[in-house]
Amino acid sequence: MIYAEHLRKEFKKVVKDPGLKGSFKSLFKPKKEIVVAADDVSFHVPKGEMLGFIGPNGAGKSTVIKMLTGILTPTSGQCRINGKNPQTDRKKYVREIGVVFGQRTQLWWDLPLRETYSVLKEIYEVDDDRFKKRMAFLNEVLDLEDFMSSPVRTLSLGQRMRADIAASMLHSPKVLFLDEPTIGLDVVVKDNIRKAIMKINKEEQTTVILTTHDISDIELLCDRIVMIDKGKNVYEGSLRQLKEKYGNIRELNFETAPGFSLTEDEFRSGLELGEDKMTVEKDKNIFKVRFDSTEMPVGEMLNYTLSHAKVKDISFKEADVEEIIRRLYKQGECENE
Amino acid sequence: MNRIGKRYVPFMKAGVQTLIAYRLNFFGFVIGGLIYCIVMFYLWKAVYDSAGGDSFLGFTMTEMVVYLFLANTTTQLTYSTVSGDIGDEIKDGSISMRMIKPVDMDWSYLFTELGAAFMKVVVLLIPVTVGLEIYRYCMLGEVMFRPLNFLLYFLSVILAYIISFRVNLCFGFVAFYVKNLWGFNILKNSIINFLSGSLIPLAFMPDVMRTILEYMPFASMGYTPVMIYMGKYSAYETAFRLGIQIVWAAVMFGISKLIWIGAVKKLSVQGG
Repeated sequence: MIYAEHLRKEFKKVVKDPGLKGSFKSLFKPKKEIVVAADDVSFHVPKGEMLGFIGPNGAGKSTVIKMLTGILTPTSGQCRINGKNPQTDRKKYVREIGVVFGQRTQLWWDLPLRETYSVLKEIYEVDDDRFKKRMAFLNEVLDLEDFMSSPVRTLSLGQRMRADIAASMLHSPKVLFLDEPTIGLDVVVKDNIRKAIMKINKEEQTTVILTTHDISDIELLCDRIVMIDKGKNVYEGSLRQLKEKYGNIRELNFETAPGFSLTEDEFRSGLELGEDKMTVEKDKNIFKVRFDSTEMPVGEMLNYTLSHAKVKDISFKEADVEEIIRRLYKQGECENE
Repeated sequence: MNRIGKRYVPFMKAGVQTLIAYRLNFFGFVIGGLIYCIVMFYLWKAVYDSAGGDSFLGFTMTEMVVYLFLANTTTQLTYSTVSGDIGDEIKDGSISMRMIKPVDMDWSYLFTELGAAFMKVVVLLIPVTVGLEIYRYCMLGEVMFRPLNFLLYFLSVILAYIISFRVNLCFGFVAFYVKNLWGFNILKNSIINFLSGSLIPLAFMPDVMRTILEYMPFASMGYTPVMIYMGKYSAYETAFRLGIQIVWAAVMFGISKLIWIGAVKKLSVQGG
């Protein structure tokens, strides 16, 4: 469905020395530097899959999305989506996709929201019947009715984002590109938006590519993730694989009974696990222990803890994806250095 | 045609509605033009008074007034903001949002602007024409309005607008290379104002220069329609000038298409 092969994008950037003197210098003799925003990015997304596209700020996520949506032309490499090349068949291609850039809007800024939808209806040639059904559906999942007649510029961020998502789904696209669709939104709105995406994916087998910094978006929505950093693919695989590979970290939380004293070192002394396999944090009488469960099974850790401390409360937790990704980012940095 | 219409007419509607949302801005634009005309009127009046005699380089004072107001109106009618619009959209990155829609870039810009052009015909061209005809009647004592000239003028204005739009589109696409277009636009506007005869009639220029300028696209963007309206051209010359306009419209259409093909590869959207 979506094939991206060795996508590379270079930008020329004028580098300026600091200060007024530097400004003058670059006015007459600009120093140009080539910035590689994406470097050899390849992946494949089958129909109906939801792919999470993650990476730290400035990793090149948006650049890749822009190449996939036909806005930017790759310096080298190519992509094919639905058998079309976004760069050469732009007009035909974009008819089949929906795009949301969280930091921008495709709504007509000065028009009432309702007008934007009727404009889009004509542009995408949605017939009346289909349009009515679609609007009813979007209205139901995204709750647009309250601000349908307000000019777009007066909408709040949450309202605008819901309206934008609805706009991208209006023509029943085969592929949906969502670039940070939940940025800056409160929990309720995020939840609405996620539900809408899930529903449309389930009912219409829409392929979704999603970039986000919100890990819960990924956990709730995505079957698979591609992670890029500094323009390069760092990881590609399912979330479960990621968890299996890096997710053997468990978190043990326990609270010692009043009057019982135990230091971090005392707790650590009975175990032969190094710093990299286990970390212990203590806050008053609450301990937080992160350890590698392949080195020390959970059961043993439980026995050990119960026999060495007088425990008032105890719990184990699987490491969350956020933690895993943090590790992955760190690992990437180390490898690059 | 019907399908194309359906797809692009919304852009026109949106253009009109945006204009209405900022109507004060639009009227400021119109009133500013009128004030400019009045200042120019007094300037030329001083020139005529000190020159003595009725006619100056083949223009009577009455003709000069007609020229002045009509040239300014024509410039406003054919004025295209598309290069500035593209420049802004590239600077803030919102051009992405246009590119993800299944429409041709040039047509979508054209239709957005046509809304405003239609408004200008209603609130500018019609009142100014009526005003000028009343003025001519008062000064000359007879009705000078020639419906045929007006129709040809209108046709010529449409051609002038097409040329102006395409020239501006080319300038706009330059923004794909230079990122910020502000300075370029100021340069472009002053060149067009001078060379299209909206500042002073091209007839006042030295013969060689006038002949060259009359063949350039700039004259086609303002001077030609005004001269047609004023009946300064013979039937043969009118046809010839309209022909030149058509040629330039075609040439600029081709050039803008070519620039677009190269420019789109250079696009780098800033931020986000």
